[in-house]
Amino acid sequence: MQMTAIRPATAVDIGPRLARYALSRLGFGPRPGQIRQVLAQGLQRYVEEQLDPAPDPDLETRLRGLRTLDYPIAQVLALNNADDRAIGPIVDEFVAAKLIRAAHARNQLQEVLVDFWFNHFNVNIGDGFVRYSVMSYERDAIRPHVLGRFRDLLGATATHPAMLYYLDNYLSAATRYDASGRLIQGINENYGRELMELHTVGVDAGYTQEHVFDSARCFTGWGIDNLRTSGAFVYRPAQHDTGAKSVFGLNVPAGGGRDDGEKLLDYLAAHPSTARFISKKLAERFVADVPPSTLLDKMAAAFQGSGGDLREVLRRMIDSPEFWAGAFGPGKPRTGFELTVAALRAADAQVTSSRGAAAAVSAMGMPLYQCIPPTGYSNRGDDWLDPSSQLNRMNFALDLSANAVAGAAVDARATVRSASGNPDDARSVAAALDADLFGTSLSAATLGAISRLAAGGPVSIATRGLGLCLASPEMQTR
Amino acid sequence: MSERWDVSRRVFLKGMSLAAVGVGFSPSSLMVRAAEGAEAGARVFVHVFLRGGADGLAVCPPVGDPDYASLRGSIALARNAVVDLDGFFALHPGLAPLKPVFADGRLALVHAVGNYGLSRSHFDAQDFMETGTPGNKTVSTGWLDRTIAAIPGSDVTQAVSFSAQLTRSFLGPEPVLVAQTLANFDLRARNWRPEADALLRAMYQADASEVGRNGQETFAAMDVLLRTPALSAPAQNGAAYPNASVGSSLRQAAQVIRAGLGARCIFVNVGGAFDTHSGQLAANQLEFARLGEALAAFDQDLGPLMDDVVVLVSTEFGRAAYVNGSAGTDHGSAHCALVMGGRVRGGRVYGRWPGLAKSQLYQERDLAVTTDFRDLFAEMARAQLGVDPAALFPGYTPGPGLGIVG
Repeated sequence: MQMTAIRPATAVDIGPRLARYALSRLGFGPRPGQIRQVLAQGLQRYVEEQLDPAPDPDLETRLRGLRTLDYPIAQVLALNNADDRAIGPIVDEFVAAKLIRAAHARNQLQEVLVDFWFNHFNVNIGDGFVRYSVMSYERDAIRPHVLGRFRDLLGATATHPAMLYYLDNYLSAATRYDASGRLIQGINENYGRELMELHTVGVDAGYTQEHVFDSARCFTGWGIDNLRTSGAFVYRPAQHDTGAKSVFGLNVPAGGGRDDGEKLLDYLAAHPSTARFISKKLAERFVADVPPSTLLDKMAAAFQGSGGDLREVLRRMIDSPEFWAGAFGPGKPRTGFELTVAALRAADAQVTSSRGAAAAVSAMGMPLYQCIPPTGYSNRGDDWLDPSSQLNRMNFALDLSANAVAGAAVDARATVRSASGNPDDARSVAAALDADLFGTSLSAATLGAISRLAAGGPVSIATRGLGLCLASPEMQTR
Repeated sequence: MSERWDVSRRVFLKGMSLAAVGVGFSPSSLMVRAAEGAEAGARVFVHVFLRGGADGLAVCPPVGDPDYASLRGSIALARNAVVDLDGFFALHPGLAPLKPVFADGRLALVHAVGNYGLSRSHFDAQDFMETGTPGNKTVSTGWLDRTIAAIPGSDVTQAVSFSAQLTRSFLGPEPVLVAQTLANFDLRARNWRPEADALLRAMYQADASEVGRNGQETFAAMDVLLRTPALSAPAQNGAAYPNASVGSSLRQAAQVIRAGLGARCIFVNVGGAFDTHSGQLAANQLEFARLGEALAAFDQDLGPLMDDVVVLVSTEFGRAAYVNGSAGTDHGSAHCALVMGGRVRGGRVYGRWPGLAKSQLYQERDLAVTTDFRDLFAEMARAQLGVDPAALFPGYTPGPGLGIVG
């Protein structure tokens, strides 16, 4: 790690700003006291901890009450077959777990990455069978691989029933006609196309419609055993198109089986366009809407040099001056989910359910797990700046500081006190929250506005001050 | 990229800062401006965009084409199940509520419209439709932003987008009001609302970044919306909108138009089950019924005001002419657009029909494009909004159009 090298020798006061930056880019933002903690342990150590997650017993305790998180798909289906009201609470627990993890996990980077990769390999919970398999999808296909190898992540999504269903691959089969010439079964291009466009090489890589068709042919027979009972991956040799295929430079000889698909995944995962495409998408999420190409070069080289080791790609990114330079730029606008979690953390909210916060994220335009198209939600901050979202962001901040968000308990006075501020003095509230949550980056206008809060009145200074902080322009970026 | 919005937003802020954003806001002056806008050019263009690639061969099935039934196999719509238009073309049964509008000459269809330089990627195809520059990813502004730029005035309500996010069509310097719902567009600060309002305005007013500008637009929009009682008016003339986002968006679009806020371009984002790779019959029935009911209700709701309104319904691409192996269709080329309004020369299906014989299909699989989507868009801008479309689509000079509006 060379990050110390980019610190100017005189920069005694940029520490808090860098700590806020690290906590907001590698995680969802600081909780009270955390900027101080990170400065005490050293940024480098914080980064290493994030790249190499340790057990998190506090989080385990918080999740203990959510009993359905570990249920396999077959169990979810069985419960729902017995009583079709069973699925509602299971989905609620799943969404609650996402918010609790994001708000409380010590391993923040891991949670950011689970969110990032789920979105990269998006499935929509509103789409039939996905509703019963999405919990397994995130738990079994995404989470174990976010700091592992890209090929493993790709393979886990390709074979997961949620993806097989969402992109229709379970329906795709070698073309067959009946005696009267009627089509009985045939190729469905959906997965074959999005695999290349969205999951690996990217839309501009230069493949053709014929490649898309042959990509889909490689995966014929990759299906789901029984949508109502087991919901498990199954390979059906009889449905496989055994002809030769040609996909974007890969020739798959005739006579193959399930391995045709694995060969294509191997090929696409190792393709230089994939290294570039994945690096760019990661850099868009972590660094800037338009990341510098010098940074993409380094990340793509790390991707290829490590055989697609995602931890090494991230390490290379964080190790680059281009990454830390962002701490002194205008900031990257937070998405609705990022803003919601950042506010929960800043307010020191104790999150126990999904009720209030999940609705707020929906109102900001990104309902959790409900992105319909396979493109996923945009990683570009600019895409999330619009008046309607802005109003919902400010209102969430005001509700939260007033302890009016269901399932997210907040004590504004305690939050101000934990930041060493006097909860009854507007100026003290402003200064304390600025130092403790923003690394002293609040503008004079924001500090001034909070300091002007009138004494007295039915709503406490602490609640109003925290509310203004969380609704401020500075809160909208990370 | 923050630079791209700078110039015109400054114009907007110059116009709004005294009237609406500053502390000394005067409601009357803004309403006068809105009223002036309504007088100057009251015509409104509404673009309903169906995300996912809605199937033109299902929107307007060519039941008279000899190849239609065999290509479509199990998902072909039977003659007796569709709404006949002219013996050759028909409407999807879900769109039946629009038959009277068609018969009344206020609804036209445009078949085989699309992008000649096809992309079968949802994302690229939508992007290209919305920037109006197919194949060119370097143009950052949307075609509706450029259209609005050519219309005098810079009110935040000139362009309205009913969508969860700023839509690409409006991306660019012109201010746009983006909302899923206009009701209760207000701060929630119980017992300290005036103080919260004043202090938050001060914070965002002082911020020169994109975040600051967006905050300023938010307060400007709040001022307009909170002071416009017509926005909470119920639908009129007995119109009943379906309980779906397309219904809610079109209901609010009608309110915006009736309120006379000077809206000229309204975008309605529809994200339903249009990407019908499988189970197409059921998905089409659900989504087209919602769409048909919503458009018919909009027409009924606005009544005579529809004389100044044109609604265009389009999507990013049509679907393959062949049914696939899953009773669905994969990504294709040309689609079928709908154009509705008092100034529409309706009651007919526009566009040259390319045919469905194998040799007539694009790449032997899709309905071929015979009308460039930019010619259709250009006609909307010119005939409905009085905007010269010559420079609207960089790198492309639109043709004379099909004569649908006017």
